Amino acid sequence: MWEMFKDLMFEANLRENMEATHRRGPEGRFPTLKKLQAYLQNKILVSSITMDGDSGTTDATQLGIAGEFMTGGTYVLQTQDDDGDESFNDHDDGNGGKDHFREQDIYLPIANVARIMKNAIPQTGKIAKDAKECVQECVSEFISFITSEASERCHQEKRKTINGEDILFAMSTLGFDMYVEPLKLYLQKFREAMKGEKGITSVTGAEGLGEELTEDSFTGQLPAGLITADGQQQNVMVYTTSYQQIPGVQQIQFT
Amino acid sequence: MSEKNMEEKVEQAASSKTISLPISRVRLIMKSSPDVSCINQDALFLTTKATELFVQHLALASYKNGSGRETNTLSYSDLANTAEETETFQFLTDILPRKILAGDYLKSLEEMGKDDDNL
Repeated sequence: MWEMFKDLMFEANLRENMEATHRRGPEGRFPTLKKLQAYLQNKILVSSITMDGDSGTTDATQLGIAGEFMTGGTYVLQTQDDDGDESFNDHDDGNGGKDHFREQDIYLPIANVARIMKNAIPQTGKIAKDAKECVQECVSEFISFITSEASERCHQEKRKTINGEDILFAMSTLGFDMYVEPLKLYLQKFREAMKGEKGITSVTGAEGLGEELTEDSFTGQLPAGLITADGQQQNVMVYTTSYQQIPGVQQIQFT
Repeated sequence: MSEKNMEEKVEQAASSKTISLPISRVRLIMKSSPDVSCINQDALFLTTKATELFVQHLALASYKNGSGRETNTLSYSDLANTAEETETFQFLTDILPRKILAGDYLKSLEEMGKDDDNL
């Protein structure tokens, strides 16, 4: 029975992949050769299973899958004979079904992604449309990848909140250690900018702020220097909330 | 990555204070991972910025990968090849499968069938 359950999960996963393919339009994508072969060889007979768990078919109950596995999402699994299009229409996005499958339907806006890509490649280069869509998905995958690694470490250390250190550590663990240095600099710069703005105006109107940004998140730190890429010191005027000026330079070492 | 690329990236990072990706959407994606409860503001900013770097990195690597051709266009297959060949991008291989022609697939299916018969 476990074998059948595993097949079922695999089937659903494959379905999701093919779903994404279908949603992209007629061009679509073929799943990997191995997956497709395995899928056809399995020939699992299933039907759609609703959120309530009362699929109404004997297959699900025979498989003995508890209702809670399938709640929060609708999976449409298909026999070989079914018309592909029908089941695609039935498929619900399953926003609640995060228990065993990552939510891969949430993407960053394609315009933003495309813009960043364009800035990265040489001026004369062009980008195919399916490449843009594809990078969109890759981005979501990347975020989930980093987050799950950071979250795991957090759990190991019995903490509940993922902080910046976790993210940086996750990145160097996963082979993105070339990002770590620029990111530290970026964070430093951003904090500077935030502090400066906070001192001058009481409204934090910086671009891209989330709603939950409170003043509390920036208390207790007052870096008065800036480390530049080439190690030269710069004079920085730091405005505190009491409007005292602190000229001069202090070097801050990242541990 | 070469030294020069590194410096460029560092300069870029140091110079750009603004983010061009929506933070709320990034938070949404992060929260969709299982067992994630709270996310620090710093972590959110870092992830968003890292995502930018990632897009640049992937786009550039893929573009260079396919630059042998004349078309000068970054295509899906460039991405798929880069994911297969570069270790850093190996985690993308599942969602970036290489395209195969239906005819080729059917042939390989036949071959697999033959193997089964031989066994």
